Amino acid sequence: MNRIYDSVEPRVMDDDLLKLAVGEQGPQEEAGQLAKQEGILFKDVLSLQLDFQNILRIDNLWQFENLQKLQLDNNIIEKIEGLENLTQLVWLDLSFNNIKVIEGLDTLVNLEDLSLFNNRISKIDSLDALVKLQVLSLGNNQIDNLANIIYLRQFKHLRTLSLSGNPITQADDYKMFVYSHLPDLVYLDFRRIDDHMKALAELKYQYTVGELKHQEHLRQTRLEEERAQQGRLEEHKMAFVENLNGSFLFDSMYAEDVEGSKLSYLPIVGELLEVYKDKFVIICLNIFEYGLKQYDKRKLELDTFNECVREAIQENQEQGKLRITRFEEKHLLNLSAIREESELLNIEKKIVECSEDITELFNVLMTLEMQLVEQLEETINVFERNITDMVGLFIENVQSLMAQCRDLENHHHEKLLEIAVSTLEKIVKGELDEELPDDVRALFVDKDTIVNAVGASHDIHLLKIDNREDELVTRINSWCTHLIDKIHKDEVMRNRRRVKEINQYIDHMQSELDNLECGDLD
Amino acid sequence: MEVLKEKVEEEEAAEREEAAERAERMEKMRPAEVQKEETILTQEMLRNLEKKLSEIKIPTPAEPLVVTEDTVDISNLPLSYKTNTPKEEHLLQVADNFSRQYSHLCPDRVPLFLHPLNECEVPKFVSTTIRPTLMPYPDLYNWDGCANFVSDFLTRVPLPDPLKPPSHLYSSTTVLKQQKGNCFDFSTLLCSMLLGAGYDAYCVNGYGSQALCNMDLTREVCPLTVKPKETVKKKEKVQPKKYTIKPPRDLTSRFEQEQEIKKQEEAKAREEKRRWEEEERLLEAEKAKPDPLHGLRVHCWVLVLSGKREVPEGFFIDPFTGRSYSTQDDNFLGIESLWNHRNYWINMQDCWNCCKDLVFDLGDPVKWEYMLLGTDKPQLSLTEEEDEGLNDDDDLQDQGKETEDKSFDMPSSWVEQIEISPEAFETRCPNGKKVLQYRRARLEKWAPYLNSNGLVCRLTTYEDLECTKILEIKEWYQNREDMLELKHINNCTGLRTDYFRPGHPQALRMHAYKSMQPENDRVMEFYETARVDGLIKREETPRTMTEYYQGRPDFLSYRHINFGPRVKKFTLTNTESNPRPMVKITEQFSRNPEKPADEDVAERVFLITEERIQLRYHCRDDYITASKREFLQRSEVDSKGNKIIMTSDMCISFEVEPMEHTKKLLYQYETMMHLKNEEKLSKHQAWESELEVLEILKLREEEEEAHTLNISIYDTKRNEKSKEYREAMERVMHEEHLRQVEAPLDYLAPFLAQLPPGEKLTRIQAVRLKDECLSDFKQRLIDKANLIQARFEKENQELQKKQQWYQENQVTLTPEDEDLYLSYCSQAMFRIRILEQRLNRHKELAPLKYLALEEKLYKDPRLAEFLKALA
Repeated sequence: MNRIYDSVEPRVMDDDLLKLAVGEQGPQEEAGQLAKQEGILFKDVLSLQLDFQNILRIDNLWQFENLQKLQLDNNIIEKIEGLENLTQLVWLDLSFNNIKVIEGLDTLVNLEDLSLFNNRISKIDSLDALVKLQVLSLGNNQIDNLANIIYLRQFKHLRTLSLSGNPITQADDYKMFVYSHLPDLVYLDFRRIDDHMKALAELKYQYTVGELKHQEHLRQTRLEEERAQQGRLEEHKMAFVENLNGSFLFDSMYAEDVEGSKLSYLPIVGELLEVYKDKFVIICLNIFEYGLKQYDKRKLELDTFNECVREAIQENQEQGKLRITRFEEKHLLNLSAIREESELLNIEKKIVECSEDITELFNVLMTLEMQLVEQLEETINVFERNITDMVGLFIENVQSLMAQCRDLENHHHEKLLEIAVSTLEKIVKGELDEELPDDVRALFVDKDTIVNAVGASHDIHLLKIDNREDELVTRINSWCTHLIDKIHKDEVMRNRRRVKEINQYIDHMQSELDNLECGDLD
Repeated sequence: MEVLKEKVEEEEAAEREEAAERAERMEKMRPAEVQKEETILTQEMLRNLEKKLSEIKIPTPAEPLVVTEDTVDISNLPLSYKTNTPKEEHLLQVADNFSRQYSHLCPDRVPLFLHPLNECEVPKFVSTTIRPTLMPYPDLYNWDGCANFVSDFLTRVPLPDPLKPPSHLYSSTTVLKQQKGNCFDFSTLLCSMLLGAGYDAYCVNGYGSQALCNMDLTREVCPLTVKPKETVKKKEKVQPKKYTIKPPRDLTSRFEQEQEIKKQEEAKAREEKRRWEEEERLLEAEKAKPDPLHGLRVHCWVLVLSGKREVPEGFFIDPFTGRSYSTQDDNFLGIESLWNHRNYWINMQDCWNCCKDLVFDLGDPVKWEYMLLGTDKPQLSLTEEEDEGLNDDDDLQDQGKETEDKSFDMPSSWVEQIEISPEAFETRCPNGKKVLQYRRARLEKWAPYLNSNGLVCRLTTYEDLECTKILEIKEWYQNREDMLELKHINNCTGLRTDYFRPGHPQALRMHAYKSMQPENDRVMEFYETARVDGLIKREETPRTMTEYYQGRPDFLSYRHINFGPRVKKFTLTNTESNPRPMVKITEQFSRNPEKPADEDVAERVFLITEERIQLRYHCRDDYITASKREFLQRSEVDSKGNKIIMTSDMCISFEVEPMEHTKKLLYQYETMMHLKNEEKLSKHQAWESELEVLEILKLREEEEEAHTLNISIYDTKRNEKSKEYREAMERVMHEEHLRQVEAPLDYLAPFLAQLPPGEKLTRIQAVRLKDECLSDFKQRLIDKANLIQARFEKENQELQKKQQWYQENQVTLTPEDEDLYLSYCSQAMFRIRILEQRLNRHKELAPLKYLALEEKLYKDPRLAEFLKALA
């Protein structure tokens, strides 16, 4: 159909076109008059119909943030584009266009109904983001591979699929294949799927589908495992003791240490290293467990604090609400009294009374708020003190444990040095029994070299330990400061918001009263 | 009484001394004791003597008072009622002996109530009158059920002499038949039932207060009027958390507060005192005149002791009222003796302080003197066991003397099994009706289905003691088709409240009203789960209607409608066709969690006459003010004559957080249009509610008129339909059975069929017929014998073959084969034996069968006349 109009100039999706469409499809009659009066903002539009417009390129749609239904059928669109902002879209119709590849739909996570009927698509692809997809229409395209069906297995909500008019439908067991591979499907090619046929198909393809299922299951479990792992690590990070529940730190000490690993070839050093590692790991584990315990403690503290603050705010709110309701009841009565009053003097007197009431309410509410602010400030300060103490204690203990690590390292270093020196002596005397690799032997040329080598290894180790300690301390400190800052900031924000709210309300009440005054005086 | 006390103490001392020689002491007189007694009789000799004189002659049973005797038909009673078995005679002798000793030892105490006469004028021991029976009704499994049943089922007959135990004690079966009895009859029946249900129950002969003995409840508060004590929920004091904020500083003067509290307390105390005095005065007025016979009125009740059926503590049951009392209760003034179906105990404790100091440890022989030693002691306290341990040697010595006693135990009851028919159980009270008078209250009970409107219970509460001014009436109903359960009429306010059980066609739960006229004060509560609209409650006053909802998908929770005065229409005065105009509709909604608070309406008010709509939205979580919006519906025309659709002053709104789109006229217009629709709907619903009220009222009136009763499909007696059906089924069954009996096997049928039909039998034919029939039968018998014979032989042959084979191959056989062979042999032998037996039996029976058939043929009506000559 498009070919007939090929000679016609393609239309450009400009503001005028969109405005026209919006206006035409907007509210009618009385509401339409109002709409015309005010104009309609594109972001308020929920549904838009742009069919038979000879559009070549999708454009200018970025303002329609809340659009839920978009019809672009019967145009000459060649590429899906410019839909990135329409994240609320539920219904998208792109049928009867010239689209070749499915693309540009990655942000439309709410899409449930997608129609790409009568296009030139040859492969089902790039739909991964559409997790809510229920209806997919891909008829009259050029899909010719049954493997495309397997791709659709990931859409758990897909109920209706249309593939008629594709080369794929010519395949012998096309229907059976679809039935068996998409067991949740209810409609295929505009027909309800027969339960009997479905059972047959399942029987026929039970092995291939079973294999697929198995693979999917494996993938799923692997994913879950990874996620769990990630979660654990995250938790450890929150406790600032990640990777301390094993030999990670120790291994990292030797990872960059060339000399150290060379020296481990020396006699006895291997055993020494083994013992050293065991001890080191035990200390690491201590730190790790201590860290987790402290983390729980801090969390509990924080939770209690949050709960208490929430309760306090809640109670304050309740009181405020109570005052307001009481005031409103009285105020309503007063207003109606004023409306019915005919004597001007009385009216004025009553209005004065009313405005006094309003002022009083304002005072009461503000007092409540100020009171809360004071109370909260005190609590926050207490909490700040406690949490800082806690962090300080934690750091102290971790540092002492780290010092133990360092002691171990020093000890090890001394031993190693001793062994190295004695080995050197042996080598010099030619008494060494074992064969050493060449590069290790290269270290034993003179005393300086070997001492340097051992020293370098030692330095690296110490550096690693220091780094780990520094990292821990910095991170927990920054966490602490951030937390305190955030609490303060939140409280200030809360206070601002409440004051603003009260002011706004009082202003409104006052202006209402003033309006009444004017109205009466008129 | 003091004398008694002294005596008891003395006896206790004596018993301690002579514990070992008790048996001896029981048999012999104790001159020493008598002497001692005489020595004590110094201070109150006169009184004591008087008492003694008046009471010592009593062992002769009081002359039988003719009360109900003539009404008892003793002719149908079983033999055990009319005579005594030797064992019972023996028991009576033992009892007489016991009684003699007792009256000798305690001459100042009244004689024992041991063996009154039964309805056949035969003396029967009281324990044998108790017949433990477990009733087949689940309601009678617990003590309260039993007690209530006994109190309801029997009518009280006063004792012939209120100061003496009766001379007659009827069996429970007779009492149940007559449905009346005195306290002893009541207690015996109740005790039988409780013992049957497994309680440790005893009949108690003692003294009760006047109110108790006369079943006078007029000073008791009706148990139904006592409101259940509201369990005061103690609010758990919340432990202040670590970061709980400190309360703001209290700036009020503490001194002033204290003064205020003091003042209040004083006022309270004054008030309290005044009330107390008032109450005191009232109590004084209500107090009964002192009873001249206080402490002498004989009563009989039931004691239930702890230990069985998870009874934690012993208590009394008054059989007249079926109520339980603590053993400390003031109404029970003393105990003479008590008994169950096993034994009889005499109270040796002093009753100067009513029953408050009594210890119910029946195993303690100092406190409770038992009659039969052999039966098990119900309770042995620890101390006693120790005593026994110490006195082991003495016990050993005693054993020889006591063996004779021990061997004697209580004979089984002479009373027939107690039976209560289901009809009697359901009817309960005599003639199905019972009236109880309480203090300021009157309770009437009826059997279900007795009243055609289903009334089963009515409690009338009065304002004054004389029961003249009715305060309120409560009526309980059962089995009503409209599920009415309780009707409560308050006489002061005129408020009537009906309560319904689930299942009313309109899902009514409660209906409180003063008049059945519509548009009056009334409250209706509903079972909201049974209603589509989730209505819980609807309150009405002449000008308003308030409805409460729950669990609606639109979150409506409350609707209040104000009505204006009705516009007068002369043609139509019907409330239905001329509804009152609505002035204001207020609707409240609970929070819909799916909408943001700013868009979730909390309350909307339709001011219909002012053409205004007010909206109040829900409050945001961390805000204290809520958005509001007010719409004015004006249809004005501007200067050019165009209709103004919407202007900004038609909608006044306050928004907590001003938003852009809500400022738009279009939005406001759409909201207003929507609200207009809603208003219409609300009006419609209000109108429907009014109609529903009318409908319910109409329905209620109809139900009250009809008051049909529901009959359970399991109720075979009352359910007419099922009864008819069942009877029809039974008839069919019966007929079927008859037909089967009538049509036995016709031996002649095959032979008669050979003859030409429709012709009368000739004599020759008849004889031939008979002979053919007989020979045929003979042949069949022979065939059968042959068949058995053939099978027998076949089995035999096979067995022989197998045996041969076995003998030939014996050497080469595997053990499994041998096993197989052996099992085959045993089976074959079994079969052969059976066949042999069958053959023998057949041989025996065959001639008999033949003769029987011949006999039958001779008697056959078709052949009889021809064969008679032959026979």
